[in-house]
Amino acid sequence: MSDTLLQVEDLRVRFDQRGRRVYAVNGLSYRLRAGQMLAIVGESGSGKTVSSRALMGLLPPSATVTGSARIDGVELVGMPEPEMRRHRGADIAMIFQDPTRSLNPTMRIGAQITEAIRAHARVEKDAARARAMELLSLVRISDPQRRFYEYPHQLSGGMRQRVMIAIALASDPKLLIADEATTALDVTTQAQIMDLLGELRSRLGTAIILISHDLGLAASYADDVIVMYAGRAVEYAPTRTLFAKMRMPYTRALLDAIPRLERQSHARLPITPGQPPDLTALPPGCAFEPRCARATPQCRTSRPPFAQHEVGHWWACWNPCKDGEPV
Amino acid sequence: MAVTEVPASSVLAVDETAPAPARKWLRSLAIGLPAGLLVLIFGACFVLPLVAPIPKPTGGDVLSSSLPPFSPGHLLGTDPNGNDIFSRILYGGRSSLIVAISVNLLGLALGGSLGALSAHFGGAVDTIIMRVLDVFIAFPSLVLTLAVAQSLGPSQRNTIFALAFFSIPAFARISRAATLRLREQPFMVAAKLSGTSTWRILVRHIAPNIGPQLMTFAMLGMGIIMIIEGALSFLGLGIPPPAPSWGNMIAQGQLSLSATPLLVVWPSLALFLTVIGFNQLGEALRARWSGR
Amino acid sequence: MTLLEVRNLVHEFTVRGAGGLKGGVVHAVSDVSFELAAGETLGIVGETGSGKSTLARCVLQAPRPKSGSVRFQGTELVGLRGRRLKQARRQLQMVFQDPYASLNPRWRIDDLVEEPLVGYGVGNAGSRRRRVRELLDLVGLDPAVYGRRRPYELSGGQCQRVAIARAIALDPALVVCDEPVSSLDVLIQAQVLNLFEQLRTELGLSYLFISHDLALVKQVSDRVAVMHLGQLCEVGPAEALYRSPRHPYTVDLLASIPSLDPTRPPAGGRAVASGEPPSPLNPPSGCRFRTRCPRAQDQCAVERPLLREIEPGHQVACHFPEPVNAAPDGAAVDGTQPRPATVHYARP
Repeated sequence: MSDTLLQVEDLRVRFDQRGRRVYAVNGLSYRLRAGQMLAIVGESGSGKTVSSRALMGLLPPSATVTGSARIDGVELVGMPEPEMRRHRGADIAMIFQDPTRSLNPTMRIGAQITEAIRAHARVEKDAARARAMELLSLVRISDPQRRFYEYPHQLSGGMRQRVMIAIALASDPKLLIADEATTALDVTTQAQIMDLLGELRSRLGTAIILISHDLGLAASYADDVIVMYAGRAVEYAPTRTLFAKMRMPYTRALLDAIPRLERQSHARLPITPGQPPDLTALPPGCAFEPRCARATPQCRTSRPPFAQHEVGHWWACWNPCKDGEPV
Repeated sequence: MAVTEVPASSVLAVDETAPAPARKWLRSLAIGLPAGLLVLIFGACFVLPLVAPIPKPTGGDVLSSSLPPFSPGHLLGTDPNGNDIFSRILYGGRSSLIVAISVNLLGLALGGSLGALSAHFGGAVDTIIMRVLDVFIAFPSLVLTLAVAQSLGPSQRNTIFALAFFSIPAFARISRAATLRLREQPFMVAAKLSGTSTWRILVRHIAPNIGPQLMTFAMLGMGIIMIIEGALSFLGLGIPPPAPSWGNMIAQGQLSLSATPLLVVWPSLALFLTVIGFNQLGEALRARWSGR
Repeated sequence: MTLLEVRNLVHEFTVRGAGGLKGGVVHAVSDVSFELAAGETLGIVGETGSGKSTLARCVLQAPRPKSGSVRFQGTELVGLRGRRLKQARRQLQMVFQDPYASLNPRWRIDDLVEEPLVGYGVGNAGSRRRRVRELLDLVGLDPAVYGRRRPYELSGGQCQRVAIARAIALDPALVVCDEPVSSLDVLIQAQVLNLFEQLRTELGLSYLFISHDLALVKQVSDRVAVMHLGQLCEVGPAEALYRSPRHPYTVDLLASIPSLDPTRPPAGGRAVASGEPPSPLNPPSGCRFRTRCPRAQDQCAVERPLLREIEPGHQVACHFPEPVNAAPDGAAVDGTQPRPATVHYARP
């Protein structure tokens, strides 16, 4: 596809720490177009965060990354750090879960933004300041003239996250990765931030990868969804398709476990027994098999391939859910 | 089914700067080596004189003064008074180690308890204890110790007493801070809700959790106390001659530094090795205990 | 029978400003009153800064509230100390948000669950050990496997089960649950929530269930109280609150929840225009929600609205409550097929 911005192919990440080898990401492939919003959904240990950090080169030295991730044709895997620094911010930017810890508490907001602006381009102080004001308005911070001189602790959580977004947008990145960016925010603030991200996407054409454990967020805002489990993509489809025809039992289980307003009080939830798998000792078959109600003997012995079984809809399952089936 | 999760994002949070040897035996080595060194030193100072024919550290014969190392009967030679240097190193080590251990034990027991109680009870109790300790901490430590030592006169017991003035408030500070942090933890609230008695909370909840931190501090403190004791003895306020301590040996030796440098070198080396041993052990224990 | 009666509860704490001087007063809980009947689950929902966790702690007297009354099983807890408080509080327990932080990392699971039995002097060592095994079984943990382990060897969900086992050890009447599943993975959450339900019916427990997740609270509660900046906005039956929320803040909350239906528009419209939440250090005068409320009038700044009963069992603290059946934007009030409540993924 000519307008493919990011192409990830068989991305693998493993950590070697204290004698243990942790297989965090085990073959992830997807394609992202310019201006598209992709949600990567999974629980802890699914590999969603690690895979994105791999794109940004933000993994510790104990990590080994293989596979390919090309942004506009430029290969990110294996890129040396000095070159990576040029791409970070300019091509890909990231916003994190806890804005309190990502912002320097001893530096004024404005200074942090101008610093980001001047990190990637030779810009005069005045021009940088003007651009910072522009960015503050862009992220809908009221009274930017005053806020420019404030410190992070003077702002609310939602505002700090907006500042993070402003910093991330400082050099006009083509891709913005939001790693659980709204998890720590109240639901009302979350709605505002998500709305802002949507607006930025349409105005600036920035592609967004939304990493979250919340399927609901994916449903409401993303164009496409990848569901990850044990370091692998297990289902990948446009959002509407995914929610209309869920194939992976794991995705179904995720959906069912989410609290719903429509449920009656004291409803017993459908539960999935067991624990997430041990990433140091992954089984030869499907990683979800021990907990899956639809498991067959084949699931234990051989791993289902991740393939496009229906148009635009990929999954990895030997016994997927059929249309209209309750379980 | 007991499978423990290894959330991969947690590996991102692991402290990459902590020494993390790949093999378990290497990790044990980090503790084993300094521990072994210290066992050697302790063994030499406390056990060796009992089993080997080591000459007395005092009452030397002037006729055999200033003998060079490897002289017959004198491994490291003798000092200007005719005393065997090796023997003085060993017996001096005994003094220095006894002082350091006593002071740290006092600090750990008294200071640790004081700080924990102060933090646990809070309110007026806390304020009073901390104000009193603040007075001690406010004094430059060496000055305070010197003043006490000076007024009491030099002796091993008085040295311990003087250094305790320095050590107890330090431990109390650490213990109090650690206990305060602990109070925020939900399991402390849960303990209260379970009806656990105050005594039990102190002994079974607070102590095991602040213990490792205090022990580590004690290890590092060994080195500090030994050096201060050395300084005191150097100034003539610690262990009184002719009884040896590494500090007063250095003091005596520096008088003839250019002529007989070895008189200073041996005790300095002994002090250096011991302090390094304690520091490394403390560091290794900290790494091990903070990991789990 | 009213199990818990809270009246005019107030709690504040001072915050250190720059330079260590007194910076300000956080009005964490301001004049909160509610009741909880035996066998009932009352959910308290609120965002950050709403004071819901502080409220829970004050009910338990850890810390003691600045003023107000807390009557548990007919006994006034505020003002009790030492042994009298311990006895009065025996049937009141708590489960905390962080499963690891609520268990002493140096203790073994057996000892952790046994602690309340020891604290209240129940039985002898032998009978206590038997009871511990019973409790671990009840929460789905094999005592032989997990008894001698330490918390760090268990997963978050398993630790939370241990915390629950400890909480029910003394056969409590009321368990206060402060965000008990927020730090757990989604699938594990469902397991633990089911455990709460199971114990509720088996042991006849009442819960005070606190969370920021409105859908979650609604799912587990009989009645729900919505809290904002230290005050209760709306209290009523879970279903009624959801079908016809009367307080503008409740409407906002409902509208902000992302729907699981991609064909519906995401939470938007008025929820988004709400602006920044005020700080508990300096709450607005009168009604504390007025700065974000589309229905606010002059009166709202002057007079603080008190909880009024507008329908049997349904109270609102608002001068201009929403009309009945204000279906919030984006919430699927009708049209979706509710999933059957008893679908299980258990292995055959």
